[in-house]
Amino acid sequence: LDHVYALHTTAKGCLSSPVSWDAAALAGGSRAVFYTSEDDPANHAERHEGRHYSIPLEEVKAVFPHGLPPRFQQQIKTFNEACLMVRKPALELLSYLKSSNFAHPAVRYVIYGEKGTGKTMTLCHVVHYCARQGWLVLHIPDGKNAGAVRVTASECIKNFKTSNERFLKEIKTQKKYVWGKRDSTEEGSPLGEVVEQGLARVRNASDAVGAVLKEIKQQCRLGSFRLLVAVDGVNALWGRTTLKKEDKSPVSPEELTLVYNLRKMMMNDWSGGAVVTTLSQT
Amino acid sequence: HVPPRTERMDVDQDWSSVYPTAASFKPASVPLPIRMGYPVKGGVPPTKEGNLELIKIPNFLHLTPPAIKKHCAALKDFCTEWPSALDSDEKCEQHFPIEIETVDYVSAGTSIRNPKARVVTLSVKLSNLNLDDHAKKKLIKLVGERYCKDTDMLTITTDRCPLRRQNYDYGIHLLTVLYHESWKTEMWESEKTEEDMEEYIWENSCSQKNALDTLLRIKASENVSNVTEEELLASEVVKNYRNSVIALKNEGETENNMAQYKESVKKLLNIQALP
Repeated sequence: LDHVYALHTTAKGCLSSPVSWDAAALAGGSRAVFYTSEDDPANHAERHEGRHYSIPLEEVKAVFPHGLPPRFQQQIKTFNEACLMVRKPALELLSYLKSSNFAHPAVRYVIYGEKGTGKTMTLCHVVHYCARQGWLVLHIPDGKNAGAVRVTASECIKNFKTSNERFLKEIKTQKKYVWGKRDSTEEGSPLGEVVEQGLARVRNASDAVGAVLKEIKQQCRLGSFRLLVAVDGVNALWGRTTLKKEDKSPVSPEELTLVYNLRKMMMNDWSGGAVVTTLSQT
Repeated sequence: HVPPRTERMDVDQDWSSVYPTAASFKPASVPLPIRMGYPVKGGVPPTKEGNLELIKIPNFLHLTPPAIKKHCAALKDFCTEWPSALDSDEKCEQHFPIEIETVDYVSAGTSIRNPKARVVTLSVKLSNLNLDDHAKKKLIKLVGERYCKDTDMLTITTDRCPLRRQNYDYGIHLLTVLYHESWKTEMWESEKTEEDMEEYIWENSCSQKNALDTLLRIKASENVSNVTEEELLASEVVKNYRNSVIALKNEGETENNMAQYKESVKKLLNIQALP
């Protein structure tokens, strides 16, 4: 067996990869060929490659409030189950995450490949693993729209709140944030308050996102929690945006607060976590 | 009625006497069963008798291979011998690296002059010129579109003078000036920035800075603090990484390059998969 797996996803059907048959599979009939009952990503191994595992629907709502592509969400509604295929690049990435040294600067992984080969699904698999392991997950589903509409900053905050409820009470801010003439958040207050400020006023949303990101980045290296930054379509953060300023000159991405803050998260100047990204076809 | 001449023609006749010069198509003189034209519905293209389409188009019936052989034999008296030492293309290129192309025009009319005849094209391979690295890059920048990277040929076309001899002299003068200027180094050439570079250089690039920065932080987290930048730069893993980044930037993204980059990053950051 060669131990070097390529992270490059190719359009191989699940039937063409070698499937190891165990006794349970032979007894269970055709369903066992395509499904596996192992639904904790931490235990997924080579023998599960090519099989689908299902995520309980309540977990889907908690872990992926917005992260699944719309066609997959439709599929969940139709079949009433969320099944993800265990792919070789995902297994490779999980093994790297399991053996990574969290004292070192964060390693940035890029999942690339042709259209329709499972990059977003691989990312969701990794996000599910990290959520099960208790990491703080910052999941940005489509980098393409990060630059497009101002509304996405508040969506981002809302989704962050849904997936990381318990962290919002545990993490305390290390700085004082002033929102306006009368509003301010004191030092040492739970992160949940910053999030509430962002949700309350749309104008403060991008700044709230910036504040939250800065706090979790600084506190991650203390080791109390692990951070996973998962960005889908990361190349859009460096591309051109569709917005225009009042004098019709195009807005460059650096000027948008959300894009600026996300780019800062992409740097590897923090430790205690990992950054997993996918490329999107433009 | 008189039968056409084609029925009295031998198979081994002398064709160049039937069509000694350029002439229009004569169906009774060409013994070929040619059909040409758009067919009627359910029919076939019309025959050659009285076929205007065959008369309209230009034909080369006067230039068959035996006719050309006779032309060459007639012209041989006016030619000198090809030098026997130049029997291959490589030898020609080695002794005569510069190729001059000129075109002569003949037309049916009273005047032998044609303004297109003054164009002169000079082509030379840069590997035959004595240029060092800086001179070659400067020459390519000066010359712009006239240089083809795939064949390494510089092609100069001149037509700004009224006479061919003058255009030829001007072309040679251009080549001389380009050669001498590219060997000189001006003062302002030291302001060459990263955007002007033709190929990717890893030394002093942000890739080198980031790599060294990350490695220093890794060492710091492991409490190994006496590693210098020079030591890091000379280490095997950094050299590997440097080569893979240069290959990616200069040659583009191929499967091989990406796999090589991945392996070098894994070694650099010491990422291992669980067994």
